[in-house]
Amino acid sequence: MPFKKLHIKTANRVGYILLDAGSRFNKLSITTIRELKRAVEQLEDEPEANAIVLSGYPGESFAVGADIGQMVHFTPDDALHFSELGQSLFDQIESCPKPVIAALNGITMGGGCDLAMSCDIRIATENLRIGHSGAKLGIITGFCGTHKLPRIVGKNYAREIFMTSEIYGSAEALQMGLADRVYPDNDFWDKVSSFAERVASHSLTALSSAKRLINASEDTDLRTGSLLEREISTNTNSPYC
Amino acid sequence: MYSLASYFILPVNRNIVLPERICSTQYRVDGIAVLTITGNAAASAKELLEAVRRHIGTVELKEDVKGIILTDSYVGFCRCVTERPSSLHYAAGLSVLGQQTATNIEKTGKPCIAVFENECSGIGLELALACDFIVASETATFGFPDIELGLIPFCGGSQRLSRLVGKSKTKELIYSGDLIDAAEAHRIGLINRIYPEGEALLQAEKLLAHICTRSPNAIRIGGEIVNAGYDIDLQTACMMERDAFALCFASFDQREGMQAFLEKRPPHFKGE
Repeated sequence: MPFKKLHIKTANRVGYILLDAGSRFNKLSITTIRELKRAVEQLEDEPEANAIVLSGYPGESFAVGADIGQMVHFTPDDALHFSELGQSLFDQIESCPKPVIAALNGITMGGGCDLAMSCDIRIATENLRIGHSGAKLGIITGFCGTHKLPRIVGKNYAREIFMTSEIYGSAEALQMGLADRVYPDNDFWDKVSSFAERVASHSLTALSSAKRLINASEDTDLRTGSLLEREISTNTNSPYC
Repeated sequence: MYSLASYFILPVNRNIVLPERICSTQYRVDGIAVLTITGNAAASAKELLEAVRRHIGTVELKEDVKGIILTDSYVGFCRCVTERPSSLHYAAGLSVLGQQTATNIEKTGKPCIAVFENECSGIGLELALACDFIVASETATFGFPDIELGLIPFCGGSQRLSRLVGKSKTKELIYSGDLIDAAEAHRIGLINRIYPEGEALLQAEKLLAHICTRSPNAIRIGGEIVNAGYDIDLQTACMMERDAFALCFASFDQREGMQAFLEKRPPHFKGE
C-alpha cells in the first residue's frame, strides 16, 4: 500500500522516513500516525537498513501536533483513543531494534516534539523552533510528553516549557538537552546523513543491545539493570554473534 | 560574608519572632501573589517553615491568585534560620515540617516561580527546589552550606536536587558546602533563566503574568502529571497521562483555547 503522508527510502544502510503531509506543517493526523507506524515496521524489517532517520526535510516543519480543526470537536473518548494511537507509535519506535534518529529540520511543536522525544537521538537545524503549546489551547499533551520531557530536560525546564507555551530556538534546545546536536542550516542534511551513516556502519546487534539497555535503565533499579547488562553484553559480545 | 556560627547559636531566652516578620505576602491586582521571606535573623528554622507553610496555605485557597512568586528580601535568608537541633527527636520533627512545607509549595496547583537576587542556600534552596522552576539574577549564588555545621539538607532538598541536576553535582554541592554562581547554576540546569542584576523579580513577574494568560486547567493538570509521573515507570506514567489528556476534553478551557486558535484571537480561559 503506498504512503500518502510520507515517503521512505534506503541509502547507505540508512532508512529514511520523510514526512510530507501536504502542507507547511506536518500535522500528526490519525492517517499520518497510522502511516508512520507502517513505515517504521517496514524499515524495521528492511535488511538493508541498520538505522532509521525520521524527518520532515526538505519541508519547513518536522512535525506538529494534531489538527486543531479536528481536535476541537473531540470528546474525552475520542481524545483517549487518539492518545492511545500516538503512544502506540512511540512504543513502536522505542522498541524498534534499530536506532531511530530524529532530524529536526524546522518547526517541531506539541505532538511533533513528543514524536522527536520517542527517537533515540535528536539532531536539530539552527532554525529549529520547538515547543509545547498545550496550555495555550487548554489541554496537556497526550503523547507521553509530560513524562518524557522531564526525563530529558529535567522537571523544571519541562514545567517552564509547558507553562509558557513559548517557542524555543536551537541554542536553548541544545542547552536544555532537548537537542543533542545542532547543525547549520546550509549543510544540515549532509551532516545528518553522514552522522546516520556512521551509526549505521556499526553492528546491528551491538546497536540494538545498547538501545534496549539504555531504555531499560530508565525504569530499572541499578542492580537489575547491571544484571541485564551482564546477560545482554555476554550474548552481544560472544564470538557466535 | 556571614559568619555562619552566629546564626546557629540562638540565645536561650530570646523573644519569639512574630510570623509576619519572617514572611509576608503581597497580593497584586494581576492575580500574582509575591511571597517574600524576610529572613529575620532571630527566627528559628521551625518558625520560618511554619510561617511559609501558613502563607502557602492561605495563598493556595485564594481563587483570585493565579500564580505565586517565592522570593527573599534579605541576603542569604536561608542561612540565618538553622539552629542546631537540640535532640534527634526534634531534628526528625523539623525534617517532617520542612518536607511538608516543600510538598505544600509543590502542590498548590498554581504556577510558582522562585526568584533570587542574592544568595539562595540551605532552606532557601530547598524551598526554591519545590517551586516549578527557579530564575535568578547574575549576582545570585546557590549551595548547601549546611555541611559546615555538620548538617545536611532536610526539607527534601537532597532528593529534589539530585533529580534535577544529577547525583554527582548534588554530592559536590552537599559535600563541599561551596556556593556556585548563577552562570554555573544555569549551566547545570538548576536555574532556568538568568537576568541582569536587580532585574530578576521584575522579569519573573512578567514571565509569570505571561504564564497566567495560559489555561489554568492545563497548567494544574500538567504540573500534577509531571510531578506524579516522574518517579514511576514510564508506561504507567503514560497511561496516567492518557486519562489526564482525555479529561481536558471535558473542560471549558479546551473548547475556548482551540476555538480561539482557529479564530486567530487570544483565548479567555476560566480554569474550568
